[in-house]
Amino acid sequence: MNQSELKVKQSETLNAFHIISLSEGFDLSPLFEEKKREEKEELRFATTKPASSVISKLEDLAKSVKFSVRKSESRVRLEGSERGRKGKLSIEAEIFAMTPSFLVVEVKKDGGDTLEYNQFCSKELRPALKDICWTSPAENPTPA
Amino acid sequence: MGCVWTKGQSRREDPSVIADQTCFSVKDIEALYELFRKLSSSIIDDGFISKEEFQLGLFGNSKKQSLFADRIFDMFDFKHDGVIEFGEFIKSLSIFHPSTPQSEKIAFAFQLYDLRQTNYIGRDEVKEMVMAMLNESDLILSDETVQAIIDKTFEEADLKGDGKIDMEEWKEFATRNPTVLKNLTIPYLKDITTTFPSFVLRSEVEDEIYVFS
Repeated sequence: MNQSELKVKQSETLNAFHIISLSEGFDLSPLFEEKKREEKEELRFATTKPASSVISKLEDLAKSVKFSVRKSESRVRLEGSERGRKGKLSIEAEIFAMTPSFLVVEVKKDGGDTLEYNQFCSKELRPALKDICWTSPAENPTPA
Repeated sequence: MGCVWTKGQSRREDPSVIADQTCFSVKDIEALYELFRKLSSSIIDDGFISKEEFQLGLFGNSKKQSLFADRIFDMFDFKHDGVIEFGEFIKSLSIFHPSTPQSEKIAFAFQLYDLRQTNYIGRDEVKEMVMAMLNESDLILSDETVQAIIDKTFEEADLKGDGKIDMEEWKEFATRNPTVLKNLTIPYLKDITTTFPSFVLRSEVEDEIYVFS
């Protein structure tokens, strides 16, 4: 995908039905999972930084933990080099644009052991993404 | 609900009959029966999934209110008797199977989003759902931004320009934007018996459980 095609994709925003389909209440997969939603391995955050910032944060993280990176216009996939308990740990981040300046990023485990994933999230992923997460006005007065 | 169900345990429909009407095999249905039992007995063991049991299964909290869970529950509860019975459960879940035709998912989504059941999806209904989703995720967008998102959506979907989306327009829109139906496919459903080895297959004797892992 060349540079100009990439730019067009990034400025495309989600329509209302895309946004609605991201809702938790419509996601029936917890019925099939033995773990409770609180322990679920999905991480979702909002950011006002551009997609390129999110992608480069993830690339930096990957470099520091020696994970490989594969990316497309709105997805980044990180994969560990070592085989863990259930094979290589891999994580996928998908970037959705609610508006051109307000993104929602969904990170989930793509492969590997859940415990290792949870550890990775708390030790590496969350700290790395902390300063680009946008929080609601109660915590941080920056408007969307 | 406060009333006593006198119909007793729901009679289990013959799995092969249900299998014929759905994308599930008889083995899948047997496995899903265990899931149904788990959900339907989580608060009151009466053979039906109540709204609270549904909320418990979905959110880990029987009291959690959600516009979307309410809609899904209503769609599953064909008879509108306030509970989901086994047949309703399986037939509704079948819509979410990866092999179910898009046309069925498209039709289901339309009814799901048609909050007031008028056979149209109106702007106010879309706004209500967008706001519910943002609230649920603790995301805040300005009113202008929400309006702009809805305007853009209607520009694309409302081909007749009458301010609402009918089934025909929805079919067109969903066909052009298949990702709006993402929530209507649960990949797990394809391999139920292998993905969930802890769903036990029961023998006729209640106490003897054969576990296949």
